[in-house]
Amino acid sequence: MRKTSLLVLSILTAASLLLSACGSAATEEPAASASQASASDNLSGTITVSGAFALYPMMTVWADEFTKLHPNVQFDVQGGGAGKGMTDTLAGAVDIGMISRSIKPEEEAKGAFWVPVAKDAVFPLVSESNPALADLKAKGISQDMFKKIFITGEVKTWGDVVGKPEVKDEIHVYTRSDSAGAADQWSLYSGGKVQADIQGIGVNGEPALVDTVAKDPDGIGFSNLNSVFDITSGKLVSGVVVPPIDINGNGKADPNEYYQTKDEAVKVIADGTYPSPPARFENLATKGKPAGLTLAFIQWILNDGQKLLNQAGYVPLTADQQAEALAKLK
Amino acid sequence: MNSEDQVLTSETSMHTEGRRTNRPSSAGRRLQQDRAARRAFSVMTFVPLFLIVVIAIALIVRSWPIIQAGHSISETIFGVIWKPEAGSFGFWPFIMGTVWVTVVGVLLAVPPCLLVALYLGEYAHATTRSVAKPILDLLAAIPPVVYGVWGLLAIVPFVQKFAAPLSKRYLGTIPMFQVRQPTGFTILAGGIVLAVMIAPLIISVVYEILAAVPNDLRHASLAVGATRWQTIRSVVLPRVLPGIVAAVVLGASRALGETIAVMMVVGNVPKVPTSIFDAAYPLPALIANNYGDMMSIPLYDAALLSAALVLLLVILFFNVLSTLVLQRVLRRKW
Amino acid sequence: MRKNRWERRHLVETFVKFFMMASFVVVAAALGLILWTVIARGLPSLTWSMITQTPKGGYYMGKEGGVLNAIIGSLYLATGATILALIFGLPIALHLNTYLGNSSWGEYVRLSLDVLWGIPSIVYGAFGFALMLSLGMRASLLAGIIVLALLELPVMVRAMDEVIRLMPKELEQAAFALGSTKFEVAVRVVTRQMLPGIVTAVLLAFGRGIGDAAVVLFTAGYTDRITTSLMRPTASLPLAVFFQLATPYKEVQERGYASALILTIIVLIISLGSRWISGRLNRYTVK
Repeated sequence: MRKTSLLVLSILTAASLLLSACGSAATEEPAASASQASASDNLSGTITVSGAFALYPMMTVWADEFTKLHPNVQFDVQGGGAGKGMTDTLAGAVDIGMISRSIKPEEEAKGAFWVPVAKDAVFPLVSESNPALADLKAKGISQDMFKKIFITGEVKTWGDVVGKPEVKDEIHVYTRSDSAGAADQWSLYSGGKVQADIQGIGVNGEPALVDTVAKDPDGIGFSNLNSVFDITSGKLVSGVVVPPIDINGNGKADPNEYYQTKDEAVKVIADGTYPSPPARFENLATKGKPAGLTLAFIQWILNDGQKLLNQAGYVPLTADQQAEALAKLK
Repeated sequence: MNSEDQVLTSETSMHTEGRRTNRPSSAGRRLQQDRAARRAFSVMTFVPLFLIVVIAIALIVRSWPIIQAGHSISETIFGVIWKPEAGSFGFWPFIMGTVWVTVVGVLLAVPPCLLVALYLGEYAHATTRSVAKPILDLLAAIPPVVYGVWGLLAIVPFVQKFAAPLSKRYLGTIPMFQVRQPTGFTILAGGIVLAVMIAPLIISVVYEILAAVPNDLRHASLAVGATRWQTIRSVVLPRVLPGIVAAVVLGASRALGETIAVMMVVGNVPKVPTSIFDAAYPLPALIANNYGDMMSIPLYDAALLSAALVLLLVILFFNVLSTLVLQRVLRRKW
Repeated sequence: MRKNRWERRHLVETFVKFFMMASFVVVAAALGLILWTVIARGLPSLTWSMITQTPKGGYYMGKEGGVLNAIIGSLYLATGATILALIFGLPIALHLNTYLGNSSWGEYVRLSLDVLWGIPSIVYGAFGFALMLSLGMRASLLAGIIVLALLELPVMVRAMDEVIRLMPKELEQAAFALGSTKFEVAVRVVTRQMLPGIVTAVLLAFGRGIGDAAVVLFTAGYTDRITTSLMRPTASLPLAVFFQLATPYKEVQERGYASALILTIIVLIISLGSRWISGRLNRYTVK
């Protein structure tokens, strides 16, 4: 009896030890190869991060690259939402909070210090099979029209949007039912104040919202840059189209108002053509001014780390914005 | 083997009349061991009793701030508006969401499960039963997350492409079956997943109940010429009816609390549902989804923990009731 | 006997029997469908690197890495919790049967165990979280282990209790007749005789612990590394599945399905393995 249970126990233990050995071997490799770099490097310690899912994938990229440069630094990165990030930061539970919105005055009063590290934007979406698509592409949708669709609900059919009353298809407005920075931003742009001002059918989660609009020819919605354009190919996710936004209000869709690839979109965000909101800064928050290891990491993000943003589908800060942020850190 | 031999030798040496053993303390030591163990074990045994109380108290303490801040209990339970940033914590949409999903799940599960339990208990060969047991055990062992994945991959598309269009065509006028949103993330999807999740529980409990009915009754009925089904219907079922009701209630309380699987398919839209093709937001999903934001908005954590408290109290009530009934049905030979 | 086989009641009988068998087929088919869906969708993305690597930078955007952190994390969590639950659970089960028997205290304890069993894991998670807040603890492996142990305890004791009740009385009485104390009978005779059942109960509890998401969501946090300390957060498979499915990148979603498959395989191994082990252990019992 004892022998069998001992056997089973030892197999389980051996298996888990083996697996963790594999795992640590896998994480050991980059350390071994990077040890040639910087013999004088003395950055070490652990940086804990939590917060917005919007920044989460990017943070893991930054963490990985930083560890390659400074092998003695370890990272613990968690998601949980911007709210959790702020709470954890103010409570001292993490070193850095990822905040995908602007910092509120109450939070600053509690000691929140922040810098922007990337730019992101929310885009409107309609289905590929939208009945008025051709006209939409030609004319674009103005900010005022967005207000009438999303906030007040005055405009109810696609015909009214493009000025062709014979198109009687009803507009189905979709928004986020979970608490989302993207919804807040879109509401601000459309003339509301908070996410709840958007009148629409709530869908939970960004992938689901994009999917729903793709499947509903009469649907209209919104989502972040990374959900609209495929990360590797840069093309539009299948089934959806970004209707041109009539930014200058001239009643037609100019070339810089219509985006079919990620590069086009990123360009207008970076040069400021795309309105803000719904473009926004992604921020990192710390309790009080950061120092030591945390400061070094954030400074690196504002310098070399910016180069990694593009391939990840985020928009880097302009040189001015970078300088401003670095100055703030001093 | 060795330990048993040791017991024998020290015991026999103790019981030999008049003979002093050279280790008189061995018996005393063992008795001490026994007493110490008994004390330790009995303390441990009352842990379960205390645990329920401790859980309830912890949740009450943490939800108290909401009452302190002036929200009355009825305002919180029956309130329809859920806007935590504005300080409105109305649970009613979530309570209704839970009720709808649970009812659909139970309604879908009970008839087939009763039939399966009856089949296994009254008709099946031993081989069928020995095949059924592993199947039911496996179904019960599958983690909720995996049920959720299955729901996402198989059930949500099924509702979207099959059930909803069918309902639109044939049942379009009945309010309960109206289709108002194009996705498959619906109460129906949640109900189907729940039904499969609670099936092993209901089947095994009902099976146990049936097994507790003495065979003599069945034989007597069959002897006078009744068919098996007549026997079941007129002799067995009436005796076990309270047990079956208890099994259903147990299944319902399990469905009430299931979080992850339902959350992945039910849509999570905080509105009071009016059709099984609406999305809903059950109470457990509310707690799990908003865990991250809990600490950043005032009173949010108290609100969510009070939701957990409500859930606990309802489930406790159902559970205690059905367990008491089942204990009586299963332990006494009628 | 069956004078007229078209007599109404015989027809009803056949009718009912048909529905019963159909229901049985439906239930069995549900299991098949679940396994088939998870395997079909998860297998293509189940690569060797998924099992042997932790997430590298960019993993959540489709780049390299795997879920080793979650696999090891889940194993640590479930093993720790099961051991902790066993330390309390076995004595409780033994005590119920040797000392309390069918007394009313025994009934109360059994009732509370059944009730604890019925409490959903989200409530355990919320309770754990409330406790952590009050104690100022952060999300960590230890917190996850403790609350999971609370979750597993009723499952384990309930299953052990069912088994220990079936203990043949003659064995116990023989041991008592030879002068054993109750403690010795419990530890040396009952445990050995009921070992297959006890092992099954332990593995059942393990399976429940490893698959649970609601508890670890609140108590264990998440991380991309393999945890090396009890006081740090740890990843877990159910949460790994959940988070990967929530991203907008198709590749990562597919990997979520693969992670679900990994979890399913682990649970299957445990479920089938427990049958095999109790089969083997039966050789040490007295028939």
